[in-house]
Amino acid sequence: MNYNLNDISAQQGKSSTFKALKKLLQLIGEERGTLILAQLAILTNSGLNLLGPFIMGYTIDHYIFAPVRNYNGVLQNCGWLLLMYVVVFGAGFAQSRLMGGIGQRMLFKLRNTIFTKLQQLPVAFFNQNKAGDLISRVNNDTDKINQFFSQSLMQFIGTLATMTGAGIFLLAINLKLGLATLLPGLLILIFTKATAAWVKRKNGLNLKSTGGLSAEIQESLNNFKVIIAFNRRDYFRKRFGEANEDQYKTAIGAGLANNIYLPVYGFFGSMAQLIVLVVGAYLISLHQFTPGLLISYLAYAVNFYNPLRQLAALWTSFQVAMAGWDRISQILELESNLPVVEDNNGTGSPYLLEFKNVFFGYPGGKEILHNINFNLERGKTYALVGPTGGGKTTTASLIARLYDPVTGQVLLNGKDIRSYKPEERAARIGFILQEPFLFTGTVRENILYGNEEYKNYTNQQLEEVIKGAGLESLLAIFETGLDTQVASSGDTISLGQKQLIAFMRAVLRYPDLLILDEATANIDTITEQILDEILSKLPPTTTRVIIAHRLNTIQNADEIYFVNAGEVIRAGSLQHAVSMLLHDKRES
Amino acid sequence: MTKPAKPDPPKGPSVFSLLTPYRRLVIWLLLLTLVSNAINLWLPKIVANGIDDFNHGHYDVQKILSVFLIAATVVFIFSYLQSVVQTYASEMVAKDMRKKLSDKISRQSYAYVEEVGPSKLLTNLTGDVDAIKMFVSQAIVSIASSLIIIVGVVILLFTINWKLAFAIVGIIPIIGGAFASVLKKVRPTFMKSRGIIDKLNKVINESILGSALIRVINSQQLEYEKFVEANTEAKNLGLSVLRMFAILIPIIIFTANMASLTILALGGRFVINGSMSLGDYSAFSSYLAMLIFPILVIGFMSNVIAQATASYVRINMVLDTPEKPETGTVTEMLKCDITVENVSVVYGQKPALKNISFTVNAGTKLAIIGPTAAGKTQLLYLLTGLIKANEGTVEFDGRAIDSYVKESFHSQVGFVFQDSIMFNMSIRENIAFSDKVTDESLAKAIATAELKDFIDSLPNKLDTLVSERGTSLSGGQKQRIMLARALAVNPKVLLLDDFTARVDTNTEIKILKNVEDNYPGLTLISVTQKIASVEHFDQVIVLMEGEIVATGTHGELMATSPEYVQIYDSQQSTSNYELQP
Repeated sequence: MNYNLNDISAQQGKSSTFKALKKLLQLIGEERGTLILAQLAILTNSGLNLLGPFIMGYTIDHYIFAPVRNYNGVLQNCGWLLLMYVVVFGAGFAQSRLMGGIGQRMLFKLRNTIFTKLQQLPVAFFNQNKAGDLISRVNNDTDKINQFFSQSLMQFIGTLATMTGAGIFLLAINLKLGLATLLPGLLILIFTKATAAWVKRKNGLNLKSTGGLSAEIQESLNNFKVIIAFNRRDYFRKRFGEANEDQYKTAIGAGLANNIYLPVYGFFGSMAQLIVLVVGAYLISLHQFTPGLLISYLAYAVNFYNPLRQLAALWTSFQVAMAGWDRISQILELESNLPVVEDNNGTGSPYLLEFKNVFFGYPGGKEILHNINFNLERGKTYALVGPTGGGKTTTASLIARLYDPVTGQVLLNGKDIRSYKPEERAARIGFILQEPFLFTGTVRENILYGNEEYKNYTNQQLEEVIKGAGLESLLAIFETGLDTQVASSGDTISLGQKQLIAFMRAVLRYPDLLILDEATANIDTITEQILDEILSKLPPTTTRVIIAHRLNTIQNADEIYFVNAGEVIRAGSLQHAVSMLLHDKRES
Repeated sequence: MTKPAKPDPPKGPSVFSLLTPYRRLVIWLLLLTLVSNAINLWLPKIVANGIDDFNHGHYDVQKILSVFLIAATVVFIFSYLQSVVQTYASEMVAKDMRKKLSDKISRQSYAYVEEVGPSKLLTNLTGDVDAIKMFVSQAIVSIASSLIIIVGVVILLFTINWKLAFAIVGIIPIIGGAFASVLKKVRPTFMKSRGIIDKLNKVINESILGSALIRVINSQQLEYEKFVEANTEAKNLGLSVLRMFAILIPIIIFTANMASLTILALGGRFVINGSMSLGDYSAFSSYLAMLIFPILVIGFMSNVIAQATASYVRINMVLDTPEKPETGTVTEMLKCDITVENVSVVYGQKPALKNISFTVNAGTKLAIIGPTAAGKTQLLYLLTGLIKANEGTVEFDGRAIDSYVKESFHSQVGFVFQDSIMFNMSIRENIAFSDKVTDESLAKAIATAELKDFIDSLPNKLDTLVSERGTSLSGGQKQRIMLARALAVNPKVLLLDDFTARVDTNTEIKILKNVEDNYPGLTLISVTQKIASVEHFDQVIVLMEGEIVATGTHGELMATSPEYVQIYDSQQSTSNYELQP
C-alpha cells in the first residue's frame, strides 16, 4: 500500500467542499441538542436584531416624518426596542457560549480522531512520510481548522442568519425592490462559487509548502552536528533558502487569492445601496413606497451587505480550513494494511515460530527476501548473521509483524501471525530495535513504557524486580538511577545508554520470543557479558533471536542462520557461519 | 531547555520597529488604506444627499448614479491594490525574518542548538514568524483604517449634529473598557495555552518518531491516553477563553444598540422639532453602523499586537544571541600533531570528561576504548570543536583549535558519527556533503567504504533518493555512507565513533585496509569496543567515567592495565574466530 501522502494528494481528484464539510460535521453528530439550542439563540438574536430597523422605520413613518408628529409614540417604541435589545443581549451570550463550546469540542474530537488514526497506521506509513510534514499536518493544519471553528464558525453562522433575515425582510417589504437589491448578492454568490476551488487550491499549495519548510527545519536542526562538522552551514542556508522562497511564493499566491473577496464584496455591497436609492426613489415617485421605508430599507441592505464584508474574511478562513481538512482527510482515509485475519488452525505446532515460503519487498522497492523458510523452537537461542543489507532487520520486522509478507506465511505457535490480536502478539514477541527510541521523561518511565504489570510499583518495589532480573548493574550506569532524566532527542545520554534502557524495557516484559537487532552494538563488551547472563536467566521457554555482527554476542547460540542477499541459510556451526561470512558472495 | 528565569525579561524593541526597513511599502499601504476608507466614508453621505434632494424635489438620478459609481469603483480599485501591497508586505517581512533567523542559527554552535532545542527553534521559525506576519498583514491596515473610520465618522457626526454626536461618541469608552478588562484577563491564558500546545506537540512528535517501538510494544492506547490528557487540557483552556469572550460581543452589540436607540429617541425629537433633516438622520444611523466594526477590530487587533510582540521578543532572543566571532586566522594545512592538555568538560551538570591529557602524533593511530557512558563520544566532539572544553586546551600542531579558521579546519577533519544521520537527498549529496568534493574524491571515498557494489545495484545509482532518517537503508549501509561522507573531504584526520558496531567484521577489515591504502598518512582516532581491530594501533587510551585510566600500546596495556585486560578477556573467547580466515 502506498502511504506517501504527497503522492496520494497528486492522485486524489478534487473533493467537493460539501462532502468534506459533511464529513467534518459528522464529528459533532452527538451535539444535536446543543446545536438546536444554539440555533434557537441565533434565530432569536438575528430575528430581533433585524426587527430593530423595521420598528425604527415604522416609528419614522408614523411618528416622526408623518403628518401628525407624535413624540410619545417615539418614546414608546424606544421602550419596546430597549426590551428587545436586552433579550438580544441574552441570546447573543447564549449563542456565543453554545456555539463556541461546540467548536471546542469538535476540535477536541478532531484531534483525537487524527491521533487515533496515526496510531492505527503501520510503520510503513511513518517510513514513507517525513516527520516534519506529518507534524505540520497534525499541528498546523488542525490549527487552521481550529481557527475557523473556534473564532469564525460562530460569526459565520450568525452572519448567515442575519443575512438570511435581512434578505427575507427586503423581499417582504417590497418584492420588486428586494429582488433588485439582492441582485448584487447573486453576483457575489456566483463569483464566490466560481473562485472557491481556485482559492482552496492556492491555500492547499501554501499549506503543503509550510509542511515542506517544517520538514526542512526539522531535518537540519536535528542533524545540526553533521552540518557543523562538515562545515555545511552554507548548505543549510541554501536548502532553507529554497524552502523559504517556495513558502513565500505560495503564500503570496494564497494571500492574493484570499484578499480578492473583500474589495469585490464591498463593491457589490455599494452597488446594492445604489440600487435601493435609485429604484426606491423611482418607486416612491410611483407612490408604491415611502421615505421611512426607504431608510429602513437602506438599513436592511446594509444589514445584508455589511456582514458580507465580514463573510469575505470568514470565507477565506473557511477555505484555508478546508484546505487543511483535505490534508488531514488524506491521513484519515488511509487504512492499516495489517488487518487481523481469521485462522482457526490449532496451536499445536512444535515450533514457536515458522516462516513458510516468505517473499517480501518494500513498496516500490525491489524484492528483499526470497522464499524464506525456517523454524524457531521454544527456549532456544538463534543468531542471524550476515553482511550489512542482507535482510536481517527485515526478517526480524516480519517476525514482529511490522510488515506482512508479500506472499507466504509467518506462523506463531502454528497459527498465522496475522490472526493474533495486536496486544497478544506484542505480549508474546519482544523486539529491541536497532535504533533505540526514548520518550522524554525519566529512566523509570522509559523502562516501564507500556508495561502494565509493574506500572504501579514504587521505585523500591521496582528496584527489587530489577535486581531479580539481574538488571541492577545496568541501572547503576545512570547517575540518579530510575529518576534520571532523559530526552528523546539530543546527546544528553549516549547511544549505549539508550540501548541499555531499551534492553531493560524489553526484558521486563518477559516475552516468549525476544529479538535483539544489533541491540547491544554500542555497548562495551564487559557490560555485554552482563547482558548475556541476563538473557540466559530468562525463563527456559523464552526463545531468543539475536542479530549481531560481533561474534562473541552469538557464540552461545543454539543455531545460527546466515542471512545474505535475501536468503536465510542454516549454518552448521559458528565456524561454518564465520566462513560463509568471510567467503560467500555478498550482495549488499 | 529553558534557561533559569531571569529577573527581567529582555525588553526587545517594539514590534513596530521591525517595519522600519519596509517603510515605503508601509507608507503605500497606509496611503491606499486612507484613500479607500475616506471615499468609503463618503458613500453614505452621497446616499443621504440623494434622499434629501429627493425630499426637496430636485432629484437628479444621473448625477447621483455617476458620482456614486465613480466613488465605488475607486474604492474597489484602491482596496484591491491595498490588499496586494498588504500581501506582499507581510510575506516579505515573514520571508526576511525567517532568512535572518536561519542565517543566525546557521552561524551558531552545536552546543547552542542543543541547549535551545531544535523544537523551540522550529517554533521560532514557524509559529512566531506567523504571529508577526499576522501583525503586518492584519493589524497595521486594520488599525489604520479603523482609526481613520472612527475619526472620520466622529467628525462627520459632529458636523451633522453635534448634540446627537456627543451622545453617540459616548459608546466608544464603554466598548473600549469592556475590551480592556476582558483582554487583560485573557492574555495570561494565551501564554498558558502556548505551553499546552507545546505539550500536545511533544506527544505527537514522539509518537511519530517512536512509531516502530509503539507498534512493537502495542502501546497505542498508552500514547492515546497521553494525547487525550493534553488535548483535554487544551479543550478546557479553550472553553475558559470562550467564557470570557462570549460575554464581550453581546456587550458591544448591546452598547451599539443603545446608541441607535439614542439616535431614534433624540434624533427623532430633532427631526420632529425641525432641527435635523431626515437625510441627516439616515446618515447618522448608517455612520453608527460603520462605527461599531472598527472599534471591534481595534480590540481584536490589540491582541494580535500583543501576540506579535511576544513572538518578536522570542525571535529577538535568538537574533541577539552573541555569535562566537570567527577567532581563527590560521588556514595552514594540518599535520595533525594533536595535544590535549588537562581538559575537563561539564555536560549539563555532570562532568563528562575530567582532566584529560594525551598527545597524538601525525599519521599515527589512536584507539579510545572504555565502557558505556565513559565520555568517549564527548572526547571526539571536543576534538572536532563541536563542544568546547571548560578547562584545559586542545591543540593541533601546537595551535589552539580555536585559532584555526573554522572552514579550513573542518574541511580537513572527517568525522563518522555513531548515530546514523541521513538527509532526505540523493546518495550523492549525502556523501558529497561539502562543496569541496570532486568526482574523483567522491569515487575514492565510495570505493574505500566498500559501497561501490551496493550503489551500482541501485536503479538510479548515486542519484537514488535516501528517505528521511534513512529508513530505506540498513544500519551498516548508513554507517558506510557516513564513512564515505567523512572521507570525501580528503581529511587529514579521521575520527570514527564506534564505526565497527554496525559493520560486519569482514567488511570492517576490508574498509580499514582500504583507508590505509587510499589515504596514506591519515591520522586516525577511533572510538571502539573491539580490541582485535585496534591491536596494531600506535596508542590505546582506556577511558572510564570521564577519566583516562591507562594509555599505551596494546602490548603495554596488557601488561599494565587491569581494566584493559578485563575488556580484552571479555572478547577473548571469540577473537580466535575473528582471526581465522
